[in-house]
Amino acid sequence: MAPSTPSSHRPRKKRKVPTAPGSNNNLILDIGDGKQTPAFPSSRSYGLRVRVPPMHGDFEAQRHWMEITTHLPMARWYLYDLQYWGLDYPPLTAYHSWLLGKIGSIVEPAWFALDKSRGFEDPHLKVFMRATVIASEYLIYIPAIVNFLRRYTRMQGVHAWSASIALVAILLQPATILIDHGHFQYNTVMLGLMVASLDAILAGRMLWACLFFVGALGFKQMALYYAPVMFAYLLGVCIFPRIRILRLINIAIITLAAFTLLFAPLLVAATNPEARALFATSPQPPLLQALPISLDKNTAAYAILFQLTQTIHRVLPFSRGIFEDKVANAWCAIHTFYKLHHFDVSLLQRASLGATLASIAIPCGIIFRHPRASLILPALSCVSWGFFLFSFQVHEKSVLLPLLPMTLSLAGDGGLNKENRAWVGWANVLGSWTMYPLLKREELRVPYIVMTLLWAYLMGLPPVCLETYRSRATLEDPNPQFELHLLTKLIHFAFYLAMVGWHVLEAFVPTPAGKPDIWVVLNALIGAGGFGLAYLWCMWKLITQCRQIDLQVAEEESRKKKQ
Amino acid sequence: MAELYPSLVQCAIVAAAFKVLLFPAYAPQLACYYSFASCEGMVLRGLSLCAPDSNCLAVVDTVAEILRMDPRLPPFFAAFEWLMSQAAAYVDPAMLVVQNLGYDSWQTVYFQRATVIVTELVLVFALSRYVKSAPSWDKQAAHVASLSILLSPGLFIIDHIHFQYNGFLYGILILSIVLARKQSTLLYSGILFAILLCLKHIYLYLALAYFVYLGRFYCLDPKNVFRPRFFNIVKLGVCVLGVFGIAFGPFVQWGQLLQLKDRLFPFSRGLCHAYWAPNIWAMYSFTDRALIPLAPRLGLSVNQDALNSVTRGLVGDTSFAVLPEISSQQTFLLTFIFQLIPLVKLWFHSGPNWETFVGAVTLCGYASFLFGWHVHEKAILLIIIPFSLIALKDRRYFSAFRPLAVAGHVSLFPLLFTAAEFPLKTVYTVFWLILFLFVFDRVAPVPERPRIFVFDRLALLYPHIRHSVDSVLLAGSPTDLRIRTTTVLAPDVHEQLFRTWCCRELGWIYGGLFYRIDRFLDRKGSFRLAYN
Repeated sequence: MAPSTPSSHRPRKKRKVPTAPGSNNNLILDIGDGKQTPAFPSSRSYGLRVRVPPMHGDFEAQRHWMEITTHLPMARWYLYDLQYWGLDYPPLTAYHSWLLGKIGSIVEPAWFALDKSRGFEDPHLKVFMRATVIASEYLIYIPAIVNFLRRYTRMQGVHAWSASIALVAILLQPATILIDHGHFQYNTVMLGLMVASLDAILAGRMLWACLFFVGALGFKQMALYYAPVMFAYLLGVCIFPRIRILRLINIAIITLAAFTLLFAPLLVAATNPEARALFATSPQPPLLQALPISLDKNTAAYAILFQLTQTIHRVLPFSRGIFEDKVANAWCAIHTFYKLHHFDVSLLQRASLGATLASIAIPCGIIFRHPRASLILPALSCVSWGFFLFSFQVHEKSVLLPLLPMTLSLAGDGGLNKENRAWVGWANVLGSWTMYPLLKREELRVPYIVMTLLWAYLMGLPPVCLETYRSRATLEDPNPQFELHLLTKLIHFAFYLAMVGWHVLEAFVPTPAGKPDIWVVLNALIGAGGFGLAYLWCMWKLITQCRQIDLQVAEEESRKKKQ
Repeated sequence: MAELYPSLVQCAIVAAAFKVLLFPAYAPQLACYYSFASCEGMVLRGLSLCAPDSNCLAVVDTVAEILRMDPRLPPFFAAFEWLMSQAAAYVDPAMLVVQNLGYDSWQTVYFQRATVIVTELVLVFALSRYVKSAPSWDKQAAHVASLSILLSPGLFIIDHIHFQYNGFLYGILILSIVLARKQSTLLYSGILFAILLCLKHIYLYLALAYFVYLGRFYCLDPKNVFRPRFFNIVKLGVCVLGVFGIAFGPFVQWGQLLQLKDRLFPFSRGLCHAYWAPNIWAMYSFTDRALIPLAPRLGLSVNQDALNSVTRGLVGDTSFAVLPEISSQQTFLLTFIFQLIPLVKLWFHSGPNWETFVGAVTLCGYASFLFGWHVHEKAILLIIIPFSLIALKDRRYFSAFRPLAVAGHVSLFPLLFTAAEFPLKTVYTVFWLILFLFVFDRVAPVPERPRIFVFDRLALLYPHIRHSVDSVLLAGSPTDLRIRTTTVLAPDVHEQLFRTWCCRELGWIYGGLFYRIDRFLDRKGSFRLAYN
């Protein structure tokens, strides 16, 4: 599953206005079309007055899903008019859309009238949709984070004051806010379920952890970035320090049951006669064709299999390119200097599979061998950085995934020390910086600037203030060993300078003729370098923490032996 | 004393970030062609085009004609706008072209909104002076109060969404009030207030309190009423007249003073503003409206002309169908009588007392708001903001402040009527109310002598009543919004009910507050007697 890590978005080719040639499926860096008009005028009340004709971005996609899920039988959810924002998220998103659509239809049925409501942009609808994001966040993400932090800080013996600071820092993460409340998505639901799963792990409730994680996976396939660590951890828990077969079986059963529960409504709906007739006449999804078995098209088994494979086919797009747009990962960086589109897609797929596996092997191995709850955050960030950098079909929004566990580490023991703060802050600022081209397209420049700078100010980071990097012994922190390494300072300053310089360039220097995307490419290159460093730092952090714990354990054991 | 946390500057930075995010929020600027909603932004810009020009009023006339509304701001504000326009020329020269009245490029909007945030620094400065001037045992309360003013939902709604420069103006007002704290800076306080009057004449509502306070404790000997201090009188007189001279002199020169007077004091407009301010006259108008269907049964005569234009303050006179007409003289008389009560107290107070002065300022604003002619709903800030400065004196002040804060801020809601701003204003205001009323509750000290007066009983009952009223109101608001956006000119029962409700609240708060201050002063006096 590694190579085909899906992206979180719908490809932009589906947009009706053909202004973005080649930004997408092919591997050509897009040429021409420096101007893309805002997709959805957004960020709270942003762009309510934008006069550019709307191009129907993610906002329209989400609205459209509410429309189809509330009006169509389940059997048609993953089949209906796929050219126009066909549903391409796992079932939980569909159920979520259905619920919100039902609620919205009570308020105003015209918002979600089948087919007639396409491109509907009533101010009241906008308020409703934005409110659903906020409500979903408050129902899932925020309680999960609060619970997790409460448990985590208690475990690590962190003072309540520091825990509150960490909580604010996590909830104000600029990238998450900009994507969810500006660009319009429901990432916080998936992230919230993931955090709930982590909370269950800390509490030692492995079965709940499985359940929540399947929920996250069932909401957005992006959660696959976290899957190897969860798998390795849960497996490790069953094997080390001694093999516990029963636990392993329980975990396996619960996971399977959760998946069954997730798909059950869809599959049950597939067995009724109408759905069967529909499936019998629809073109087979490629996955079903690839299966060695052949079934009678009118049986219930065929319908179930059809529905399952069709869903998986929609959710995991195997046939897309190695990267989409310009994203700050390794492939896009390599492509800049050495064009990759000469290669066969299957070769690229294999290459990315190999690279991803190589990048996640060490952290997964460590967490498998040392399944400790305190190691899971660095392992998660390391692995998701690996995925972000090397896997197939990455989208710039996926950077939220590695940023979450990294930012959560602020709440750990010593999480607010200068080193951790500097690195986590730097990665976050860099993360939202790499999303700037995306945000700019949607007229979210002002929120981007404000949110990022505000967060940097609250964290005491450049470019707003140098608090974190100043080396002086204060009363609270007279210990010089907490000072940042000179190399860290140099690297960070170089990146901050590059980011500020890039903004100046982008704003004032016109792109040279024939290379309209040069600034975006430069952004992706710098971003890829930075994320590579972040990956290495997380890896180093994981290894040192692991060694520290080992040493502690060894000491304790020797002490016991002496006694 | 430990450093107060979070500091004013930190809050100002975070608040500024939030306000920048509101840049694209709907400002009635853009809709002023289509609705009669007050659109300060346009008028301000109209003024900025022409300020120092001798035919200024002519230009303003055309602007006003286009907008069907009068700019009603005194000369210093025009000068202030002229300064802004100097900076604006660098941002986008097109916004200064008179013909471009409907012009709203994003540069224009962003520039104008940014100037509001930047000029609000005056408020931050004034508040920091206020905290500094507070005695050390009162520092924490002063800090909390100043934070509440800085983050006030009133300023937030009016300045940063609706668009005005109140933050700047209230900054000057607070600075002037703070300067009145010390005998040595009383003169500067007076000068600053004169300047403020030339910036926006709505502060005339508070002028009597200043007049009495400065007259009693600056121009006369604080200890002996019959011993005038002539040097002080001359100083104050020269300075204040000088300020007015600079402001209005040029208009005298151009012979436009009367024209300016008409513009500043639009008595030709009705008793009530187009959107009723929640005052006595809103109740009066409402009673009138309610009596129309009942009039035949009660045997009252109905003025038929008024039926078509009842209380539409926009065009010309307000006329009542059943109840007698109210003239501007009557409103002045009422206002004056109710202002007199605290002023008498202030005059006869032995020795200058800053808290009494702030109380008198608040009550003068209160009386003007409740009984004034053509009061605008935004004037509620004239009461809330000075009152915030003394609300934490003790719990009894606070218990008068609490319903005022709730009713006053909620009464501003109809200013913003678009769907997107609805959650913003409600969430922010509710959040502010919860946060600050909770903090105030913890900070406000227990009064030296407990006393439950009949109004206190009402205040204790208030939260319970409010819950039920609020739920009705909240249910009503969306409809209210819809009606207002679709048929702007149609009379709207929801709103009037709402206004009436706010008025009733404010009315008895006035009574309660006055009673409290009165009793408080009495008590102080009796203490002093006992001491001597």
